[in-house]
Amino acid sequence: MAKRLLITAVLFISCSFFLYAQEVKINFTEYDLDNGLHVILYPDNTTPIVAVTVTYHVGSKNEKPDRTGFAHFFEHLMFEGSDNIKRGEYFQYVQNAGGELNAYTSFDETVYHEVLPSNQTELGLWLESERMFHLKIDSVGVETQRGVVKEERKERLDNRPYGSLMEQTFAHAYKLHPYKWTPIGSVQYIDRASLSEFMDFYKTFYVPNNAVLSIAGDFEAGKMKDLVSKYFAGIPRGSKSIYRPGIVEPEQQKEVADTVYDNIQLPAVVKAFHIPAQGTDDYYAIDMLTTLLSSGESSRFYKELVDKEQKALYTGSFPFSLEDPGLFLVYCIANMNVNARDLDSSIDREILRVQNELISEHEFTKLRNQVEDDFVKSKNTNLGIATSLANYYLFYKGNTNLINTELERYMKVTREDIKRVADKYLRKSNETLLYYLPKPLGQKGEGK
Amino acid sequence: MRKSYILLFLVFITSSPLFPQLGRNTPPPPGPAPEIKLSDYESFELQNGLKVFVVENHKLPVVSFSLVIDRDPIFEGDSAGYVAMAGELLKTGTKSRTKDQIDEEIDFIGASLSTSSTGVSASALTSHTDKLLEIMSDVVINPAFRQEELDKIKKQTLSELASAKDEPETIAERLVQKLYYGQGHPYSEFETEETVGNIKLDMCRNYYDSFFKPNIAYLAVVGDITKKDIEPLINKYFGSWQKGEVKHFKYTPPQTPSANTVAISDRPNAVQSTIRIGYPVELKIGSPDAIKAGLTNTILGGGEFRLFKNLREKHAYTYGAYSRISPDKLIGNFTAFTEVKSAVTDSAVFEILNEMKKMRTEAPADKELQQAKNYTSGNFAIALEKPSTIANFAINIAKYNLPRDYYKNYLKNLQAVSASDVLEMAKKYIEPEKAYIIVVGNARDIAPKLKRFSPSGQVTSYDIYAQKLDTSAKKLPEGTSARKVLDNYISAIGGRENLLKIKDRTSEMTGNVQGVEVNITIYQKQPNKLLQEIKAGNMRQSIVFNGTNAYSLTPAGRKEITGTSLNDLKLESTLNLLLEPEKFGITSQLSGIEKVEGKDAYRIELQAGTDKKWTEYYDVDSGLKLRQIKSVAAPMGTATQTVDFSDYRNVEGIKYPFRLRQTLGSQQMDMQVTSIKVNNNLKDSIFEVQK
Repeated sequence: MAKRLLITAVLFISCSFFLYAQEVKINFTEYDLDNGLHVILYPDNTTPIVAVTVTYHVGSKNEKPDRTGFAHFFEHLMFEGSDNIKRGEYFQYVQNAGGELNAYTSFDETVYHEVLPSNQTELGLWLESERMFHLKIDSVGVETQRGVVKEERKERLDNRPYGSLMEQTFAHAYKLHPYKWTPIGSVQYIDRASLSEFMDFYKTFYVPNNAVLSIAGDFEAGKMKDLVSKYFAGIPRGSKSIYRPGIVEPEQQKEVADTVYDNIQLPAVVKAFHIPAQGTDDYYAIDMLTTLLSSGESSRFYKELVDKEQKALYTGSFPFSLEDPGLFLVYCIANMNVNARDLDSSIDREILRVQNELISEHEFTKLRNQVEDDFVKSKNTNLGIATSLANYYLFYKGNTNLINTELERYMKVTREDIKRVADKYLRKSNETLLYYLPKPLGQKGEGK
Repeated sequence: MRKSYILLFLVFITSSPLFPQLGRNTPPPPGPAPEIKLSDYESFELQNGLKVFVVENHKLPVVSFSLVIDRDPIFEGDSAGYVAMAGELLKTGTKSRTKDQIDEEIDFIGASLSTSSTGVSASALTSHTDKLLEIMSDVVINPAFRQEELDKIKKQTLSELASAKDEPETIAERLVQKLYYGQGHPYSEFETEETVGNIKLDMCRNYYDSFFKPNIAYLAVVGDITKKDIEPLINKYFGSWQKGEVKHFKYTPPQTPSANTVAISDRPNAVQSTIRIGYPVELKIGSPDAIKAGLTNTILGGGEFRLFKNLREKHAYTYGAYSRISPDKLIGNFTAFTEVKSAVTDSAVFEILNEMKKMRTEAPADKELQQAKNYTSGNFAIALEKPSTIANFAINIAKYNLPRDYYKNYLKNLQAVSASDVLEMAKKYIEPEKAYIIVVGNARDIAPKLKRFSPSGQVTSYDIYAQKLDTSAKKLPEGTSARKVLDNYISAIGGRENLLKIKDRTSEMTGNVQGVEVNITIYQKQPNKLLQEIKAGNMRQSIVFNGTNAYSLTPAGRKEITGTSLNDLKLESTLNLLLEPEKFGITSQLSGIEKVEGKDAYRIELQAGTDKKWTEYYDVDSGLKLRQIKSVAAPMGTATQTVDFSDYRNVEGIKYPFRLRQTLGSQQMDMQVTSIKVNNNLKDSIFEVQK
């Protein structure tokens, strides 16, 4: 038993990931249409379904400060219909075909998808091309969606314990960069926006030269190319200049600390640290640091804070991998009768430990194994593959093939790198610290 | 070689799909229906009776194992939760491994392992199969059941129960369980603080010893392996697992209600109502009705079908409305569910019942029927993308004695369902007049309007753990009114004259919140000036209000308080507010007598303006205020805050409560008043913001 394990470990460190990469290579093709639409096709006939995705390179960071929430609101408008699709029909077409659909808006991108039985693929292309070509926006639709988005905000943020966490963290951590507001934005700005602003946004960002069409599933690449050109080639290229904020967030000089009183039962501690953009060398080391701290029950936060000290009910850390420099987030919920300060000191102790002690070879091998497992399992659905392909193309300088090779970048990270990035980025002067506390007795008003 | 059966089905009958003219104005017709291939599985059985299913899938170099224990449901009684905890305990230590070692070994190979009372699942890259099986089998065969691990789980469970106290959906589900299945039925049970307190390590160990037996277990193996390779490994690791006799249990089937029955759980000041309408149904997995009844439910409440179209698209009551029918070996259930704006609660119930009625009176149109079939078969195809789906099919076939080709024929049988079948199923399983109508919401506003759905005229109230509340409230004595109760209160604390003598007041109180000592000092001056200072550990926060402008001051800086918060502050900082309620636009209404901490108390509903509502309780005997319930605003939404008053003491002719207990969700804070001083000549300047 032990012998076998040793061989696996040795192989792994030398070259097993190259072997592996050959084993499950994602054989995709990609090309541009004349109008600038980037197309990625990944045929896989295991299951007779197809995932059609369109990623627009626009997110909340492209918004003006007095129009936050605009990109997400626009995502809702994209379901309102087109010259040939009446209001409310969008969902019905997909449902009646036995498919499912959805969309989401992030800081950097807006992604739409349909998963359909493979004989209905063309329907997916028609639906996506219709709204890229000639979306219909009228005041009725805008009014309806204003109401829906307000309800969505209530459900996701307002009525959910710790629901405002992302919003509060980014607002405290950023001073200048548009990441200081989150995609859900503020309701009042949408109320102020006029119909012509929506049209202008559409004509600026929702153009083929700002989009990636990525399709994965049961089809033949040759036939699919014909269909793609049939539905998308006639859509004109956009002529407006696309706003990309060149704002550089100044380096944080000292710790930012605040308290948020919320309707929660158990206190939470949130820490955020500024980190480099996704795809940079340090980013991979930071991602492995996250694994060390919070992935699995032997991870340092879980083992020490949840299992041993029992100070926390939940521990987690996430690097927000963004196009511009993002945040490394630590988020812990206290157990009953544990106060935030006490929990905070345990988190700090664990951070200090990574900064002071080089991790062991054994723990390092564990991290690499965990990262490899994640990398392989991330390719388990066509939808996941289609969106990953588009993401690599858009945010890694056109390097779509990273879907096959990104693991190599993780494997270049050394133990020293992990200690170094912990030192460099998880320092106090780079920290935003938030305590989420239950509202105290007698508190009469809110300052906000 | 993997065998695969090919199954043909037609979604639509299509004409020529080849090269149609590009007309953008109509959707493209679908192509020929694809073949849905259900890959087959292989099986073998160990000598100890463990049945193993192997589903090969070589797309990714990954393997997963899923062990399922097939036992009868267990009634846990006053220790509800011990069975689930026994399941959690499995991965917290074996005879030769501590929890630390298990966690470390699993993470070291990048794997995952989870355990429950009815099974164990594990997954890893294929290269780690051997190690994974070694750990998994150790957890299944040799769990240690250590007291300190149970203590940890109990502590976590109590934290989770506390967290869930303000979750309307959890409260609604408890009511569903209690009402549908009734006392004594295993499906009616859930954990409470009390039952968790009763759980002992022995119970968990006994559960394991009685039910974790290979002869009632199935093991599904899915992924990048072959039967030939895996069979010796399974034998090696699970061969020593000892079989044994396992007890069976019978339960009396629950009664369905003979008429609509309305149940409500009060969340004072809730802005949404959580609605569940349903009842238990006799419907077994794989029975002749199962597919037909499932399709019938889809038309009513699947995806974006009738309930969604009606309640969301047509009426905009909600973000979504659905129903489900769940077949089960013991007893199944039907439930329609939604969350709606409080104001439309009764309308939403009416529309749901109406849609249920329509299902029983008319067969669906062919088009709608076909849409529901497409929707169901599409979901079926999408689910097949996960190799574990085939493994679940294999286990279901064995568990429920289904024909081996049940799932292969599923789509064919689905397509064969007719409109008259749907009508027949609706008449059999959809009961708009014999249902439990369960609502969690603001009882004061919605309860009276829900009476019309109850033929008995009764609306029964329950607490958050689905315990019936004693609302056989005493009849109000003739001639009592809200005004009289409030006047009586003013006399009880010392009378109008003494109250009017107060020009200013300084109150200090102390308490303990989350292990931190909290000190609060409140300065008030006529008519409504306020300064409130809170010290909690090293944190300081104050609110200052000069009667016009208000600010909150924290280490992060000063923020002006505006809008609704400012209006609330104006009202709440008014000294002697209840001396002249009319002046502040406050209306009051006496709504009954209820028990508060064992005392009979008048319940008074107060309202200021259109939005601000709260409730106060006054002791029938002493006249003193016992409790106040209101919703408090936070940056993100509202929650219900209850404050109990006791230990009234006399200070300069006025009685003040010296003990205050605030409950916000599960969070309880006790505050003790240490001093109250009146007429200290407080200067106006302390109520101004220090620049």
